[in-house]
Amino acid sequence: MLGAGKFGTPAQDLDDLTTHFYAARKHGEPHRVLVEAQPENENGSENDPKNYATFDFNKILKDEGGEEEKPDPNKPYTLGPKISDWDEQRGEWLKRNPNFPNFIRENKPRVLLVTGSSPKPCENPVGDHYLLKSIKNKIDYCRLHGIEIFYNMALLDAEMAGFWAKLPLIRKLLLSHPEVEFLWWMDSDAMFTDMAFELPWERYKDVNLVMHGWNEMVYDQKNWIGLNTGSFLLRNNQWALDLLDAWAPMGPKGKIRDEAGKILTRELKGRPVFEADDQSAMVYLLATQRDTWGNKVYLESGYYLHGYWGILVDKYEEMIENYHPGFGDHRWPLVTHFVGCKPCGKFGDYPVEKCLKQMDRAFNFGDNQVLQIYGFTHKSLASRRVKRVRNETGNPLEAKDDLGLMHPAFKAVKVDDSTM
Amino acid sequence: MIPRGRQIHKTFNNIKITILCGFVTILVLRGTIGIGNLSSSEADAVNQNLIEETNRVLAEIRSDKDPDDPADSTDEPQFLSLNDTYTLGPKIVGWDQQRKVWLSQNPEFPSSVNGKPRILLLTGSPPNPCDNPIGDHYLLKAVKNKIDYCRIHGIEIVYNMAHLDKELAGYWAKLPMIRRLMLSHPEVEWIWWMDSDAMFTDMVFEVPLSKYSNHNLVIHGYPDLLFEQKSWIALNTGSFLFRNCQWSLDLLDTWAPMGPKGPIREEAGKVLTANLKGRPAFEADDQSALIYLLLSQKEKWMDKVYVENQYYLHGYWLGLVERYEEMIEKYHPGLGDERWPFVTHFVGCKPCGSYGDYPVEQCLKSMERAFNFADNQVLKFYGFGHRGLLSPKIKRIANETATPLEYMDQVDIRRPVHGDESSGSSETKS
Repeated sequence: MLGAGKFGTPAQDLDDLTTHFYAARKHGEPHRVLVEAQPENENGSENDPKNYATFDFNKILKDEGGEEEKPDPNKPYTLGPKISDWDEQRGEWLKRNPNFPNFIRENKPRVLLVTGSSPKPCENPVGDHYLLKSIKNKIDYCRLHGIEIFYNMALLDAEMAGFWAKLPLIRKLLLSHPEVEFLWWMDSDAMFTDMAFELPWERYKDVNLVMHGWNEMVYDQKNWIGLNTGSFLLRNNQWALDLLDAWAPMGPKGKIRDEAGKILTRELKGRPVFEADDQSAMVYLLATQRDTWGNKVYLESGYYLHGYWGILVDKYEEMIENYHPGFGDHRWPLVTHFVGCKPCGKFGDYPVEKCLKQMDRAFNFGDNQVLQIYGFTHKSLASRRVKRVRNETGNPLEAKDDLGLMHPAFKAVKVDDSTM
Repeated sequence: MIPRGRQIHKTFNNIKITILCGFVTILVLRGTIGIGNLSSSEADAVNQNLIEETNRVLAEIRSDKDPDDPADSTDEPQFLSLNDTYTLGPKIVGWDQQRKVWLSQNPEFPSSVNGKPRILLLTGSPPNPCDNPIGDHYLLKAVKNKIDYCRIHGIEIVYNMAHLDKELAGYWAKLPMIRRLMLSHPEVEWIWWMDSDAMFTDMVFEVPLSKYSNHNLVIHGYPDLLFEQKSWIALNTGSFLFRNCQWSLDLLDTWAPMGPKGPIREEAGKVLTANLKGRPAFEADDQSALIYLLLSQKEKWMDKVYVENQYYLHGYWLGLVERYEEMIEKYHPGLGDERWPFVTHFVGCKPCGSYGDYPVEQCLKSMERAFNFADNQVLKFYGFGHRGLLSPKIKRIANETATPLEYMDQVDIRRPVHGDESSGSSETKS
């Protein structure tokens, strides 16, 4: 058919992305409006105190404790007090705490997956349901691969709200968890669709930042979607703290972010006009300071550390027929990322039906790989119902484990620990 | 030839009529299309279509209909009849021995890690969106709460969203799942079921497993309510632990028969209402069924059941949530009991449905408070806390420093300052 190469080429991705993003952000495009469908209220009256449908949630929230701290407008923004000896501090701590090693086994670093969403209910009535499915999906992958999860629902720094909120959070987590070797940031609208793929940790032993992307598109073209900050790995060391400090300045909301947005639109290829976002800022940072950072950054395109949903979701049936989990690439993507769908918000860049239905399919595609461990599968990629695909026997320990996910090698503990 | 005067008069009349007609036309046009220009009405129509389309999609997603339901879904669902025997699966025998052999053959999947028996926390919710959106929001918060507790204590989570067995739907759905996980994961020593409406409110407290080395089921309840009063709420199946062993498989097999929906569950419900104190009339639920089973087969099972009430393995929310501020003032995490409840369980709130047993405002406020009460114990580690138990916003409670590990050492839940068991290596294996 199209051939494997077509999926992985930057050109194809880029074309798709550019058309979708750019078109959506033009002025005058009708936004897809998500409006609460008013529920039929058959039994209770408007004022029935036990009826959830008629209750206004915002009534219950209450902030206490006086004025929020206001940033000093004369001081330049910083993520926190400058730390210059983090490698030494961390090294000392690891020595003092041998029960919290930063490597679980040889070549298996301790990883913390970080994701999150707002502490308030979504504006869209099904948004929280999709966030729930998304975190279940992450819980499954991480359980199979021995990765811990941190689900953030707190805004640590009001100046760095929105997509920039991950920066203060990442810094805080690195400094609080010296035992973590790699922090894996993942957007809430990204799902794991290859449960068997283990990241190639040895490939990254000499780098500190891994993002999906292409060298030519970042360094040569300065393309604003040359890399993706929706799913990336950051090693816990001094270099990372310095990078975060260099990355942050375009983030503070208001004038700084707006002005920075203009610079980014001017300097980067294909970028529409809007306030500075963390991804464009990263492209700009790397492209203009390659000598400082480049040698420790790995732009990975060998598998879908981030996989744009638009070119993947229609192919799931084909993948099931021709391939199997474990590839992580166009044959069986590790991550399907629903960029632009915004299921939690009122406005997205794509039609609601397409987004939500495809998210259901991606969820089921991933879930099938977990259910098959236990002998079940969804009746179809669109169905919530499951059916048995392997009969139970009186000898459960002899059950076939086709994908090797019941007791996968990447979850095994070091034999020494068990006899401690 | 018309006289000049009349000509002028006629012209004036024409002008008057023209103006009058024009005026009427403008009035009519204003009435129909509004003052704006013509194109806005078109945009309104498009927008209206989008809204309708969106609502249709949302309604479809929120309904229980499934694209894979058979076309003739108006048929009566097939229920097991009273004469049918239901089983969870093929009878397993010798599970303890099978498990032991497996463990010895798979040393890289031990049943204890760092001296602690491996626990798997099982929870879940239905696969479709809640009847109302706030329900999903609290399911999300509740799972974050469980993720936090389990990360701190090295417990794995399975979040189930599939009905493995169409007979055992609803609150009974946990039974096939517990069995399935036991049999697939011999490396797991304890399976801990926890309801989706239960939250951890003591992030430090750990279940004292060594207390249960001679038991296979740990469940919150009161022996006198159970044996003397035969009360239907003597035990709570919202949070309990099952050891992975033959005894548990046998108990699950004995427990399941009241579960299959339809006439079996209905009839069983009548038996339970007749025999348990205070039970209203409704179909059999797993909790009443377990109580009835343990009462009627006391000698067979009770020696391995630990009815726990020294700490809140399950803590009924009413009576607890109002006292959080008092607890914060007087006590500290790690106690797990009425001074600082281990688990706060929102029985009866049912935020995922349309109606609960309590006023919505009371339930939601209480759930938000419990969530934030617990979250504060996690955020403290990072130097933050909520601005009140009803606030989604946080504030700094410790200044940032250039030596963060010093602060951390003082507040790390996983490694108490006066370090003992948590560092693992010195504990003797049971």
